[in-house]
Amino acid sequence: MRNIYLIFRRDYLGYVSAWGFWLGLLALPILAGLGMVFAAVASNATPTRYYAVVEQGAVYADAIEDEFRRAIESQRKEEMRIAESMNLPVDREQMEGAPQREKKFLLVDTPANGIDELRPYLLGEKLVDGPLGPRPLFAVFIATETEEGRALEYWSEDVNVSTLRDIAVEAAFRLRQNEALAEQGLTDDFVQGIRDTAPRVLEKRIRSVTEQASTGNAVTMSDKAPTFVAIGLAYVLWLMIFSVIQYLLMGTIEERGNKIFDTLLTSVKLPQLLAGKLLAVFAVTATMAGTWSLTSIVGSAFLVNAVPEMEGMIAPFIAAFADPKLMVPALISFVLGYLMYGVIFMAMGSLCDTIQEAQTLLSPMMILLMLPMLAIIVAFNDPSSPLIDGASWVPIFTPFLLILRMPQDPPLWEVLSKMALMSVTTFIAMWLATKVYRAGAVNGAGIGDVGGWVKGLFGRGGKTAPAEAE
Amino acid sequence: MTQSPLTLSHVTKRFGPFTAVNDLSLDVPEGQIIGFLGPNGAGKSTSLRMALGVMPQDEGEVALFGAAPDIEALKRVGFLPEERGLYKKMTARSTITHFARLKGMSGSDAKDRASELLESAGLGEFANARISKLSKGMAQKVQILSTLAHRPDFLILDEPFSGLDPVNQQGLEDMIREEHARGATILFSTHVMEHAERLCDRIVMMARGRKVFDGTLPEAFSALGNGARIAVSGGYDLAAALSPKGFDAVRDPQMESDEWWRVALPNGRDAQDALRAAIEAGAPIAGFAPEEARLRDVFVSLAGEADAAALNDSRTKSAEAS
Repeated sequence: MRNIYLIFRRDYLGYVSAWGFWLGLLALPILAGLGMVFAAVASNATPTRYYAVVEQGAVYADAIEDEFRRAIESQRKEEMRIAESMNLPVDREQMEGAPQREKKFLLVDTPANGIDELRPYLLGEKLVDGPLGPRPLFAVFIATETEEGRALEYWSEDVNVSTLRDIAVEAAFRLRQNEALAEQGLTDDFVQGIRDTAPRVLEKRIRSVTEQASTGNAVTMSDKAPTFVAIGLAYVLWLMIFSVIQYLLMGTIEERGNKIFDTLLTSVKLPQLLAGKLLAVFAVTATMAGTWSLTSIVGSAFLVNAVPEMEGMIAPFIAAFADPKLMVPALISFVLGYLMYGVIFMAMGSLCDTIQEAQTLLSPMMILLMLPMLAIIVAFNDPSSPLIDGASWVPIFTPFLLILRMPQDPPLWEVLSKMALMSVTTFIAMWLATKVYRAGAVNGAGIGDVGGWVKGLFGRGGKTAPAEAE
Repeated sequence: MTQSPLTLSHVTKRFGPFTAVNDLSLDVPEGQIIGFLGPNGAGKSTSLRMALGVMPQDEGEVALFGAAPDIEALKRVGFLPEERGLYKKMTARSTITHFARLKGMSGSDAKDRASELLESAGLGEFANARISKLSKGMAQKVQILSTLAHRPDFLILDEPFSGLDPVNQQGLEDMIREEHARGATILFSTHVMEHAERLCDRIVMMARGRKVFDGTLPEAFSALGNGARIAVSGGYDLAAALSPKGFDAVRDPQMESDEWWRVALPNGRDAQDALRAAIEAGAPIAGFAPEEARLRDVFVSLAGEADAAALNDSRTKSAEAS
């Protein structure tokens, strides 16, 4: 145990005293912060643009402006719905009384009536006056009427921004709808009345009779939090493995490059050496995860203290996080996943003298590691997808995907079977990796020998397997 | 009765069709300095790695302090591998401390010992410098100190002199003598025969995976046999004159002049005896040079010219490296 501790200690201190560790530690909160700032800045950074409508009267212009108002109102309602579903404190009166969101398209008087005269304004060669001062014209609608019917031509230099055009499409539809209603002697209020009195679709959560008696059947954040937490855990596990296995790979390459193996192996047994190294990187991972968790807990506590109403939103997530039904399989998946991938990368490192050599083996492994990431993306839309269920039986994906399955309450036999399969695969990976590691570290086998071993396995006259090469 | 630090019995190691070590038997008694000699590729490093249990043998037995090599026995061993290497980001002191602790020393003892060794080796001011910041020679010293830090009973040094300049080679020789004086048994491999001549109680010669000699230095020289060179004038037949007195003489093929003869010395007789016999026989002596055998000559006679050439090749490469 002492030797394992000494190997662990040296490696751990080596890793945490490196710049890379601190960058990795700070990367997640910094990137999360930057993401939020970027989203806010991107939202505010959208410029306010001018548009004009060329028509007799102001029918289309009014319709488009009305449609903008509806869109903003609809967006505000959606925000209130999301806030309520997340148990966030919502002051409806305050939200409804809040000033209107800034409109990003402002209607201005058209400076000309023909497209040839409007061209310099649309190309930015001339400016039009508007509420924000002289600016180029972003787009112009020109109402036309031909034998085929009425149309609204949309002219703009920037065809990638489609918001204004989409609003106009809705406005044109609503305009025609109102005309059709009027032809029948009806108004828009009639349609609104239909909408208001239509049967409501009420979302309910089916539970056992006893559960329902205590918690009711309404869908709350407590029902959704486990899935969010599972997706978060799977992603964090993937991120951890993806980043820390690099430590194992680089550390092993460094030791091979520095010819340290012989010195080490006359002081510690090979399994002790491997165990110490794996523990050290595991501790690095745990340090990262612990720091991030602590930051989250402190941040949440600070938030709840500052805004007591936030407790309602945070509590379901903490409850889901602390639920043994999710956390126990997550921890087991984490440990086995780390061991499985960790030993594979250590074995790879023991065969390589340089990072460039390692790249040859690294590329297929990286592709393999990207596959569970795709499954995590699928889980966002459909956590009970058969794809996730099926892929979670593949042992190299199980560590990530079993976590995603847990909120769906899979049967116990399924969970135990997957864990057993994962354990056996981890054991085989460790056994094989130890042999490869010994071949690389002790016998100096290199990356060029891998092809020979594979051929040897299939009896095609390749080199001897790593165990025999000792 | 104390256990021999190392015993190899009929040890063989093969890499595919290539036999790196062939039926090697070797006993390293306590308290000796033993030189393990031979050119590169002779099987020295492979033998040492098997002796340490780093690499398993295919045949034969290895006993380290009387038992198969294990971590407990290895705690009594200090090993300097041929391929040197340290963790480049560690400091000199922490490197020595780390390896000493792996050999069983307590943290505080290891740290004190590291400081003491660095001071005595003149590296005190570099104790907290990273290995990557040290010169190659300094880093090698640190590795040697790491090998000695836990005061091992048995030192195995694989090509310890390679890569060192003459001053540091002398320093290392002194260090080996000090360790021997402390009571350590020392086995070191080298292809530089002069180090072995100066340091060893006993030498083991390897060529092409086989042991070709195992004995003391005098035994090595006697295996070759000493000689004398005598020059005579006037076409005198020295062979005919010395034959009745028990000496064999042949013209020296290395000399252009046919005046020089090489005289082989039978056991118990030296060059002066040969000169005296020639004078007594009335030979017109024109020159005389006693011949002292060198280890290289012994190696040539035992392993052949091809392996001797390989030995020279090894020396040249080693000199270039240093």
